[in-house]
Amino acid sequence: MDRKSAVFTARLITYIVLIIMLIAQTSCGKDEKNNDVKKSDESFFAMDTYITVTAYGENSDEAVKAAENKITALEKLWSVTDQNSEVYAANHNGTAGLSDDTAELVRFALDMCDTTDGALDISLYPVLTAWGFTTDEHHVPTDAELAALLENVGYDRITLDGNTLTVPDGVQIDLGAVGKGYAGDLAVQELKANGITSALLDLGGNIQTIGTKPDGSTWKIGVRSPYGDGSFATVSVKDKAVITSGGYERYFEENGEVYWHILDPKTGKPAHSGLLSVTVIGDEGRLCDSLSTSLFVMGIDRAEQLWKERMDFDFIAVSEKGDIYITEGIKNDFELSESYKGLNVSVIK
Amino acid sequence: MSRNKVLAITAAVIFLGAVIWCAVILLKPKSNIVNITQDGTLLYSLDLSREKDRTFTVEYKDRKNTIEIKDGRIRMLEAECPDHICVDTGWLEDVPIVCLPNRLVIDHADKTDTDAQTR
Repeated sequence: MDRKSAVFTARLITYIVLIIMLIAQTSCGKDEKNNDVKKSDESFFAMDTYITVTAYGENSDEAVKAAENKITALEKLWSVTDQNSEVYAANHNGTAGLSDDTAELVRFALDMCDTTDGALDISLYPVLTAWGFTTDEHHVPTDAELAALLENVGYDRITLDGNTLTVPDGVQIDLGAVGKGYAGDLAVQELKANGITSALLDLGGNIQTIGTKPDGSTWKIGVRSPYGDGSFATVSVKDKAVITSGGYERYFEENGEVYWHILDPKTGKPAHSGLLSVTVIGDEGRLCDSLSTSLFVMGIDRAEQLWKERMDFDFIAVSEKGDIYITEGIKNDFELSESYKGLNVSVIK
Repeated sequence: MSRNKVLAITAAVIFLGAVIWCAVILLKPKSNIVNITQDGTLLYSLDLSREKDRTFTVEYKDRKNTIEIKDGRIRMLEAECPDHICVDTGWLEDVPIVCLPNRLVIDHADKTDTDAQTR
């Protein structure tokens, strides 16, 4: 080999090596398909829970900030304990002029109380307080205590005239069962107004999504198992809210008995309809939020009936016997997790 | 040694280096990064696959939370708060461990198979 060709070979090898290194650098490691889409996320405490907003796209920083600001502003209006909130004013002065967002929420909540035939009742707050679920100083009220408190429970006594809310003496409202869902809806609006077409909001386990993931695939949402920390199933969704109510969320034990925070407005006691958890999937957070609580109270038969009447949502329910019920609409998007494959799933049609 | 040989050997060494480097990246044991944040501020970012078994405390307004790391897992061992929801959550799995009163959150830095969990 003469000197010239040897130099040439060496150079050639060097170039090849350089090219290989370049390729190695860009292809080594796990492929992240969405590397080119900007992602922003923000986590914060509001509405008595831990919230994470994740959005994708050019304007995602501003959009996420706007969504966070919206949620914290709504918390100030809807808090039961904040003396400057609109709900506090209504509870303590008997009447209050509401902002448009609050009025819309109350209107919707009252409508859902009606739709669910009182399985949802926004005037249950004094009973919830008696059980200590609002302060974490738990206590089992006597039947006499509950009977006295239930005298002042009844959503039909609350009137909303335009933006004026009237709450009779002794009655107290709390928008907790619907508020987080509606806050999610308004945060979604805020994100969309900022040009976001792909986002995921986690409001303490209330999941709301915009569009699909940036790569076009659906969002995979784990559904919390009532028996432990893991997920017993996954639902794949786009542009949907997925909201769960379960007895495991907040409860206490006394003398071997478990008392959970979802109360039956008829008895004032923890609801025992035969269900351990209900997950509702639909377009709006406020609908899913209010239904997850009320279907839990209603039990599987009445839940099925309401689903057939409305058909604008789907649900997944876990019974005390360990059976799973899912409605037809999400049949193809529902999958049991590996360790729960043995569970019996019935599809409601 | 001729200059050419030096060049060729250098090239070969770089090439081998690239191959090994690539292998290292691909075969690296899966890390399990957990973030501990308080009121939105990141306190610790720990790789559980490398952490030794230990317990440590985090304070918030004179109230203490004790966090335990054991066998590559993490949990809230004790909490000076009224509800103990964080302690009841047990070892960190899919759901973040949240101590609302003390504004403390233990969560995976990068989530795995699902995008979120409804609960």
